[in-house]
Amino acid sequence: MRTLFVSLAIALTAAPAFALEKADMVKLLAEIDDRQRNGGDYKALIYLEQKEKDKADVVREVLVYRRDADDKLMLLFSKPKSEEGKGILRLDKNLWTYDPGTGKWDRTTERERIGGTNTRRSDFDESRLAEEFDPTFVADEKLGKFETVVMELKVKDGFDVAYPVQKLWVDKKNHNILKRQEFALSGKLARTSYYPKWQKLFSESKKAELWFPGEIRIFDEIEKSNSTLVLFKAVDLNSLDQNMFTKAWLESKSR
Amino acid sequence: MSRLGMLIQIAWRNLLASPINLIIGGLILAGTFLFVVVGGLLDSLNEAMARSVVGSVAGHIQIYSSKSKDELSLYGGMGGDPDLSAVTEFPRIKQVLEQIDNVKEVVPMGSSGALITAGNIVDITLEKLRNLYKARDGQFDDPRLKGLSKDEIETRIASTRRHVRQIIRVLEADQKKAQAILREQAVDAEVVAALERVSQDAFWDDFEKDTWGSLEFLENKIAPQVTDAQLMFLRYLGTDLDRFQTSFDRMQIIDGTPVPKGQRGFLIAKLFYEDQMKLKNARRLDKLRDAKAVGRLIANDDELKRFVKENRSQTRDIVLQFDDLKTAEATKKLQTALKSTEPDLIVLLSTFFDTTDDNFEERYQFFYKELAPMVDLYKVRVGDTLTIKAFSRGGAIQAVNVKVYGTFAFTGLEKSPLAGGTSLMDLMSFRDLYGYLTADKKEELAQLQKDTGARTISRENAEADLFGEGNTVVAEATAGVIDEEKTFTGVGRRLREDDLVKRVYTDAEINGGVVLNAAVTVKDPKRLQQTIDAINKASDDQKLEIKAISWQQASGILGQIITFFRGVLLLAVFFIFGIAMVIINNAMMMATLQRTQMIGTMRAIGAQRSLILTMVLAESVVLGVLFGGIGIALGSAVMSWLHTRGIPAPNDVAYFFFSGPKLLPDLNGGNLVVALVIILVVTLLSTLFPAVIATRVSPLRAMQSDE
Repeated sequence: MRTLFVSLAIALTAAPAFALEKADMVKLLAEIDDRQRNGGDYKALIYLEQKEKDKADVVREVLVYRRDADDKLMLLFSKPKSEEGKGILRLDKNLWTYDPGTGKWDRTTERERIGGTNTRRSDFDESRLAEEFDPTFVADEKLGKFETVVMELKVKDGFDVAYPVQKLWVDKKNHNILKRQEFALSGKLARTSYYPKWQKLFSESKKAELWFPGEIRIFDEIEKSNSTLVLFKAVDLNSLDQNMFTKAWLESKSR
Repeated sequence: MSRLGMLIQIAWRNLLASPINLIIGGLILAGTFLFVVVGGLLDSLNEAMARSVVGSVAGHIQIYSSKSKDELSLYGGMGGDPDLSAVTEFPRIKQVLEQIDNVKEVVPMGSSGALITAGNIVDITLEKLRNLYKARDGQFDDPRLKGLSKDEIETRIASTRRHVRQIIRVLEADQKKAQAILREQAVDAEVVAALERVSQDAFWDDFEKDTWGSLEFLENKIAPQVTDAQLMFLRYLGTDLDRFQTSFDRMQIIDGTPVPKGQRGFLIAKLFYEDQMKLKNARRLDKLRDAKAVGRLIANDDELKRFVKENRSQTRDIVLQFDDLKTAEATKKLQTALKSTEPDLIVLLSTFFDTTDDNFEERYQFFYKELAPMVDLYKVRVGDTLTIKAFSRGGAIQAVNVKVYGTFAFTGLEKSPLAGGTSLMDLMSFRDLYGYLTADKKEELAQLQKDTGARTISRENAEADLFGEGNTVVAEATAGVIDEEKTFTGVGRRLREDDLVKRVYTDAEINGGVVLNAAVTVKDPKRLQQTIDAINKASDDQKLEIKAISWQQASGILGQIITFFRGVLLLAVFFIFGIAMVIINNAMMMATLQRTQMIGTMRAIGAQRSLILTMVLAESVVLGVLFGGIGIALGSAVMSWLHTRGIPAPNDVAYFFFSGPKLLPDLNGGNLVVALVIILVVTLLSTLFPAVIATRVSPLRAMQSDE
């Protein structure tokens, strides 16, 4: 693995004028995915803030639970009080929402906004870029003071994602995504996201570093005045309850 | 007097002398007829639509916040629902408005829409099973299960399990058919394996060893194999239901009961209930029957043929509702009725729904007598709890549970999609869905923002601020311990268990919160504009920050339709009379020139210029009055005939404009007077110039002509 990273780093930094081969890009995506994937359980406390013109800010705190080994994900809203206990649960290809106020489970889709903000399930789940997308080299570009490689990703057949096309600006030095643009099927740009704070911590279960984007700034490209802030307030890598990723467990948090 | 008689005599003689006068007369006749008939029809339509709009939702006047971004449009505008600011001081506004002369009642309102789906049939059945198991453990997520004995719950669990197994059998049969058609690679092995597992007795024998795990397996592996249920767009009006029911007296409860006074509840518009919530096959049978009642035949009507075809091919909604016992029962009933030995229920149903003009009535009766009692005819029944999820003002999804007390319609507008497309909800539930931020909620959010201390970054400067000099992107972090146990207080569930359904709200509570708009009914509709002015003045004087508009304005584009058609009519009349004016002018000029000798002679024997002027004008007036009069008479006769016969609504949409199944147009006296005035003005104006020319003819000219 180390050799792969070194060779990729050389490829990215030493030959900026040359287009990356597809295999190199897939390797780079796999590296990005692997860095963010934890071998064991994962829990994060996240702050969400949505700003829209002529509307009050939407503010939420949400707990994200992941068991990457089983591809399981759960989002549980904790604040404000009116949102407490609402949740989203991904089980296989099913995405469920739960509202303790009605006691109902409903199916939802990848395109559904999370908690009234411009975030999607994929913003909180483990990264699966190499598995879900085919990359194409676009250009080398400077983003602020950072040298980046820009690639376009198109979704592979059989995968249901929020946006079928995206463009990534990847930091050549650290291999972190710094900017992401997501496009609808029609080709219309829908969101531009920035990742200015990548954080890493040692994961006992993974026996390696786990990376997470401490902050995501999302700008709505359809309603230009709307923007979303995603802040990771804390990450906890302790083991989670074995029965956590079930409807029964999520319901129990509202009792 | 004798002079007038002489002038009319001359005019009459000249009128018959020239054929061009008949053309002019024809134009005047057509214009007048058009004005009387079309003007009368538009007036009648306007009045009918006023009855529909005023009587079904708007009242005579609507008020809304003057700070709103958009104008109020009760039926939605081109860009969807208007963006209205909340009216926060409704009790004070109501008090002030009720003091204004002519104001009868002020009814608070707010309208919105939601997409609702109950999930597919498997999801619904599994949810039922889940709730039954919960009820067995003493947890009543479905309030209807409260009070059932243990034995009753066990019986229902067994029945629902049989239903699920029957669904699995249907899915298995589908899967086998698909396997026979598709290439091996196209068959999802995971799906096949899941179906195989749940079709085994072993799965069901061990089901209760891990009830929740077994249910989740079915929910996540089996249910997605059935197509999702159709989404329904539910439009609703949140209002003070007690006041609404008394103020809008055309409203009639069709099924169930009104929502008890002061309670939360939902009334579904009957037309929406039938069109959207009824089993599609049954609804199509109803439509076929309605069509046949007015003489349409399946044999030669493409729409009816389509209904039959759809009924034949879409039988799964029925089949998936049956457990094994009901499947056997339905199969037997259909075999007997169709004299068939076919064992497959889908095939039998398809044959049964292959209705013709000959067998339709018999099969219609059979369906409602034998099959309908075995199925859920409606997705939501009266007495059920409906979960409505809608986007709040802030953009987040809010959901409420509301009990459906019944269905309603407005008398005469039963078939109108416009009047029958909006359901009614209590104001408290509406406010929950609207998600208005109270001072407490605002403070909670502000505190959360303050505690986080996030900086705001503009779109324009984002790249420079985030990735410019001095920024580092990578940082070391420390894993923390997140203890969320104390965070969850169970507030959402408590709210549900508070049994909001039974709570009776006081008038002060209902009227005390925010509303988006309000309907004002008046005692005397003729004084509508004065009342609107008085409300707007009171708003200015007492800083109510509201705006009052008429029902017509509040109806948005709909309210402008009549104004538009009136404009088209006026334009048409303007053109017709414009052409008439030019023709009359030319004709009179020609007539004057032809009669130079006669006019000169008249002048020579002592006729004054004023006599000549009056004579020419009189000719035009006689022409106008004669043909205009015929036009008015014909128009009046047509209107009278239409009034007696009535104009039937050509389609369901027209019900709203006609305020019922027929429009009974009335002759408008005002239109007759206006028509007469227009004729006189047009004829006089167009004759003025030839008449002046005629006065200038000298006796000398008459004598010169002789030479």
